[in-house]
Parts: sequence; structure tokens; C-alpha cells
Amino acid sequence: MSRIVVTGIGVVTALGDSVAANRDALKKGQCGISFLELFPSRYAETLRFGEVKISNEQLKQKFKVRDKGVTRTTLLAMHAFEEALQNSGLTNEQLTSYDTALIGANTVGGMCLTDELYHDANNDFEGSEYISSYDIGSVNIYMQKHYGIKGIGNTINTACSSSANAIMYGARLIQHGLAKRAIVGGSDSLAKFTINGFNSLQILSSEICRPFDASRQGLNLGEGAAYLVLEKQEDAVGKKVYAVLSGYCNASDAFHPSSLSDAGDGPYLAMSGAIQEAGLQSHQINFINAHGTATVNNDEVESKAMLRLFKDVPPFASTKSNTGHTLGGSGAIEAVYSILSIEHQELYPSLHFETAIESTGLKPLLNYVQQPVHHVMSNSFGFGGNCSSLIFSKA
Amino acid sequence: MANEELKHTLKEQIIKYLNLLEKTPADIKDDQVLFGEELGLDSIDSVELIVLLEREYGIKIKDPKEGRKVLVDVNTMADYIIANRTR
Amino acid sequence: MIYVHKIASVTPQKELLPASIDEVNESVNNVLKVVEPKYEGVPLSILRRMGKAVRMGVGAALPLINTLEFPLNGIVIGTANGGMEDCIKFLNQVIEFEEGTLTPTNFVQSTPNAIAAQLSLLSANNGYNITHVNRGLAFENALLDVWMLLKENKTHTYLLGGVEEISSYNYNIDYLADWFKKDEVSNKAMFASETEGTLSGEGSAMFIVNAFPEKAIAKIDALHLMHTDDVTEIERQLQHFFNQHLEDGQSIDVLVSGENGDIRSRHFFEASERLLKDATIVRFKHLTGDFATASALALTITCQLIQSNVLPDHMVKIDRHKKNINKVLIYNQHKGIQHSFILVSKPAA
Repeated sequence: MSRIVVTGIGVVTALGDSVAANRDALKKGQCGISFLELFPSRYAETLRFGEVKISNEQLKQKFKVRDKGVTRTTLLAMHAFEEALQNSGLTNEQLTSYDTALIGANTVGGMCLTDELYHDANNDFEGSEYISSYDIGSVNIYMQKHYGIKGIGNTINTACSSSANAIMYGARLIQHGLAKRAIVGGSDSLAKFTINGFNSLQILSSEICRPFDASRQGLNLGEGAAYLVLEKQEDAVGKKVYAVLSGYCNASDAFHPSSLSDAGDGPYLAMSGAIQEAGLQSHQINFINAHGTATVNNDEVESKAMLRLFKDVPPFASTKSNTGHTLGGSGAIEAVYSILSIEHQELYPSLHFETAIESTGLKPLLNYVQQPVHHVMSNSFGFGGNCSSLIFSKA
Repeated sequence: MANEELKHTLKEQIIKYLNLLEKTPADIKDDQVLFGEELGLDSIDSVELIVLLEREYGIKIKDPKEGRKVLVDVNTMADYIIANRTR
Repeated sequence: MIYVHKIASVTPQKELLPASIDEVNESVNNVLKVVEPKYEGVPLSILRRMGKAVRMGVGAALPLINTLEFPLNGIVIGTANGGMEDCIKFLNQVIEFEEGTLTPTNFVQSTPNAIAAQLSLLSANNGYNITHVNRGLAFENALLDVWMLLKENKTHTYLLGGVEEISSYNYNIDYLADWFKKDEVSNKAMFASETEGTLSGEGSAMFIVNAFPEKAIAKIDALHLMHTDDVTEIERQLQHFFNQHLEDGQSIDVLVSGENGDIRSRHFFEASERLLKDATIVRFKHLTGDFATASALALTITCQLIQSNVLPDHMVKIDRHKKNINKVLIYNQHKGIQHSFILVSKPAA
């Protein structure tokens, strides 16, 4: 087994449109959650969201996209992809070779265009320009063609853990010699579909979300994307290495379609499996970027699973308090944040927390700190009990 | 609408909204606990029933605690509908 | 190396492979819809919430899991769209009730990973659980994932599946995108059609796979997936695939071709036939219709052909009179840009 290293990162969220802007906001403990300015919804002025304040037109101009039918989910993905590509220094020849894989993930695809899809699905006259862009696969398929990537292409959907699993899949393709490098990540854009879906489950908070707080009321949806360039350590000689992807594990909670089991079996198995895969012991984990959606169910179960696994729970935080829950993007976005903690030897605080959950007593990290950071775990749990944990380590 | 007629209609609507396969109104007793073992309903179903009350009877329930008091059995639902319906 | 031990499917046909053309169910308005079984063994309290894709997937897979002699280590599903009908039902509510109070069941069921998730729930399986959705290569990626899993853990057993449902909604979308025929064509005459577009279909195919050859019904030797619209590239890569995976003296007995009656994609299939001058050419999409994960049913059909050593006449395009079906190549393409080769062989007795 080779060590898989990260040689490029890119991210766009409500916190900013670059890795540097996101890091700066994380350090300052800034929150990107607000009322809606760009996306039209009945809830624009009553619910809060982690909206990326860049319009589709601006994104299209930036990337010189003239093709029809390119959706916001794709444009945000391209934004993060191009930054990661630039950071990694991959040549165009490497990008378009047969051994470069592109593995994406999202949950809404082109359904961010809920109204257009409604008309295209229910009418039988002429279709809109988005007719071939609604499915989840459309994002990756468009990017594969646009960038001329000839290696393995895939899209993974496991709800909110989608892009954590895309990172795992890309790493495994490299381990098995099916790709020399993999560009992996995920994206999602705000959509009436998901806003109303989570609202119907009564897990959207009307206030800014408060991960791990006793009085938390639910999540805020967000949007964004992140991509990572993965290579084997021996192929990255002379390159800047951001971190090592040292462990990963996916496990199923096998309990309920939209909530986690009381004991947190899935989260426990994912976290312990990733630690084992990394060849570590639990006390070596310096920090956890928790899933921490701020729903009543998730935060309590995730806390219990952490208490089950760790004799002393390491510092942890939920960056969903900064960005909102970016669904298919969150696994990759939080992977980038975990990598930043390793690159800069610093930890970012969790926001909007006051009182610990009574049954667990766990408090997230509330201040920015600089300290030695060797191993960071990033958790992503999705509907259907799909639980994934990734571990990034200092090279 | 007489009380009995309302309860019958309500049972039909419960079956329709929850897609209770192979169940008829006769299978649901007026005082049968909805969220018990027998019907196998869960939290997602309670949201479906709140939607039923809004769409069929114009009743909006915002507070989940209020919902728990109303959604006990067909009797409690019917009483609440009679007292609060707007259509 | 993947060994297939059990197969189950839900298809538009009563029997997976009807013996004669008279027994083949006919398409209605260019659509082949599945014949759904009773789904015994799926609790009614859970069945009531399932849309067709989840029902077909769970219905086919659960009996396989429940009768398994090995512990199951994970569930790997390929589906381009998952529960499309639930998805659009929810979307219709969003628009029609102007983002008002909506019912969550359709939303929860609409996520493509609902099939794999529901299966883990019903079989209390805490293992690896994944859903690949890369449209016409969703099932191929699921297969590739299992191939890697079995290299990582030689003693593991996995459920592998491919599922797609056709609803009036996604029929509409793909129809407007020109993927289905505008003229009415019967599935029994689809390969002679000279028009653009294919027939719409759906189905669910489930497999129990591991790395143990004993009692296996088929062996998957190799897999290759491609993203291109260039037919010469397909020919070049197919030749390379043979060079890599066929030993001296080995040849392909049967090509299971994903030919779909769309004149726009005929040249791809003709190219694959040109490289297989000695193989019997068979087709299957008159039984299933076309959909993003049709290659999953192609694999089920291939397993059945290898197991029975019988080729129904209505499937045969060119007969090269092979005595035994030992090595089969599946070639499929989706919408002219996603292509795959799957090499399957009869396990040594």
C-alpha cells in the first residue's frame, strides 16, 4: 500500500471563494449564514442559509462557460475544481491522460432548477436548455467532457456523506492502480427541492444553527463545493503536499431512513474503522471536524459515539456553524478544512454554542488555537444511516 | 357532517396519506393508538398526518407538542377537526 | 476476479429469458414496464413507503440476502436516478403547494441511496454501503467498486445491484431530450428500426458476489469503462482489452450487445461486431428496453446464458454455431458517450 497524499485543494462556500478566504474566515470565527440574496424562495427572508454570493452569470463568465444547460451545482464544482487543479500544478497533459480519474458527488444535480424541472417533467412540449442536466451524474459528466478527462469518471450519492465517499473511492482507485491520480470532491447548490425536503422533515432551524448546543433546533442549508487532488506519495516528489489521506471507512447505521440509532452504531463503526485503517490509536487523533448538523438527533448521537470511542474526546468543532450544511459538498469541504488545520497547525472554533447537551456534557472547541496537529478526523453522516469518516495526517 | 361519518372519512384519508397497504377503515378502531405497535407508524407518519389536517381541513399545527396531543387516535383527531376546521 | 453466486432480477418479462418470441411481453407506447412480483418477505409496513425503484431493488435483493450462507459484508448499488417518481412527486408538491407544508416521505425515498439504505436496514447490515450514480456507467462503477473490495478483502461477500425505474416524468424528460423514438415501434421490431431513439425500459438486477470459485455460476474476468464519442477510440480500446485479458488461443464465444434500435448508435455496435468475427452476436434490449443501468440486466442475462448454455432464437443476431458458451463479452453504451466492456466466463468445473 502506498501513502495517498493531497497535492491540491480548492473550495468555495458562503465563507469565501478560495482556500485562503475560507481559512481567513475560519480563523476569525466568521459565519457565512444569512437570509437569501440570490436564490428565490418563499423562505428567502424567514430561514437562513449558507449562500454563496456569486451569481450564476458571474460564475459562467469566470470560467468562460458558453455551453447551454450548465447548472449552478456544476458551476460551483468547477470553481473548486479549477482552484485545486491550479494548486496541484498538474499539467494539461496529466489532466487529460487516461490515468486521471474524476470522482464527484452531489445530491441535487440540476434539481437546483426546481421550477424548470417541474415543467420539463410534466409537460410534453419543447424541453428547456436544462433537459439533460437534471440528474446527479450530469455534473461530473459535463466536467469530464469540458476538461477532456479520459480516465475513470464516477459520481457517488449517499446523501450527506456523498463527497466523503467520493474521496475514499478516488483513493482506492489509485491504490489498485486504476488511476495514477484522482481529482475528487463534491458540490451542491441551494434548491427548492432540498429546502422544502428538509423543511418537511422539520429539521430546519429558523435561527442560525447551534451545533452541539442543548437548545439546538435544526440545521441551516448551505451551498458550496470542494475538490482535492490525490496522488501517491512517490509520484508527488518535489510537490507541495498538503496532507496524507491516512484512513477512511464507511459503515451503515442500519436503523432508520432519516435518523441515527441511539447508540450511534454507524458513526462508531465509521470512526473506529478509519482509525484502524490509518494504523492509529484513538488517542492520537488531535481534532475532529464533526458532522454536527445541529439537528436534535445527529448531535446527540454523534456525541455519544465519540464518547464510546474516545477515552478522552479530542477537541472537535462543526464548521456547519460557519457554512451551513452543504449536503453533497460537505464531506469534501470539511476535508479541505481538516487539511488546512494540518497544513497550518491550527484549529478553528465552532460557533453559536452556549450550553452542552445534558446527556453528553461535550463542549466543542470555542477558540482559534495554534498547536501541533498530526491527525484530524472528518465525519460525514447521511440519510439512510450512511456514515463515513476520513483521517488526514501530517506528511 | 355527523361525527361517525367524519371518522370514517378520516380513516380513509389516513389510509390514503400513509399508503397503508391492505388496510380498510374497518381495520382502524376509533380509540386505537395510532403510533403503537399494530399500525407501525413513526415520526415521518406524524408529519404526513399534520399535512393531512392542513390540506383536508385547513388546520395548521405549528407546535410539535400540540401535534402529539392531537395525533393520539382517530377520536382525538376527529374532536380536534370539529373544533378547529376551517373547511 | 469476481465470482457470481446468486442472481435475481425484476424485468419487463415474466421469465428473464422467454423461450420464444411469442412469449416476449410487448412494449406499450414505446415503453417496457417491469412485471412486479408480490414482494413476499418485505414487511407491508415498510413496503407502503417504497416507490417502484426501491421496491424493485429491495424485492429482488432481500430474498438473496436472507438465504445467504455467508455473512454479507456490504451493499453496492448502481442507479442513475433511483426513485425518480418520488422525486418528481415531491417536486410537484413544492410547486403546487408553493413551498407550503409538504409530506416528507417522497423526499426521503427520492434520494438515490434509498435502495442501498433500505436494504441495510432490512438486513441489519452495518457494512460498506454505497450508491454509484454516474448515469450510463453507474452499474459499471458499482462493479469496479466490488472488484476493488474483493481485492482488499479476499474472504468478503457483497451484494451488487443495478436498478432503474421509468416513470412518466423521467420518460418525459428523456423523450424531450430525444432519447426515445417519436414513431411507435414494437420491441419485437426495434432492431430493424431506421429511426432515431430507443425504447424506454426499466429493471432491477441483483448479484451475490465474492472471490470463491466453488459453486459459482459465473466469473467476471475484467471490466473496462470509457467516456468518449469516438468510435475509433472504442475499437482501439476493445482491441487493447482483448490483448490484455484474453490468453493465447482464447476467444469470445458470445457478444452480448447493447444494441438499442437507435440508428445514431448503430456504428458503435457494428464496430464491436467487426472485432468479433467468430462470436455469436446476441441482443437483449427487446426484453428490457433501454435505460442507464441496462448493463446490470445484461450481466444477469449473461450469467443465465452461461449457466443454461441455451440461446433463445429471438436473441440471436448472427449465429456462429458455438457448442458451448464459455466466454462472453458484454458491450454496452449509453447516449453515445459512456461505454463499457465486461468479460464474463464460465467458472472451471
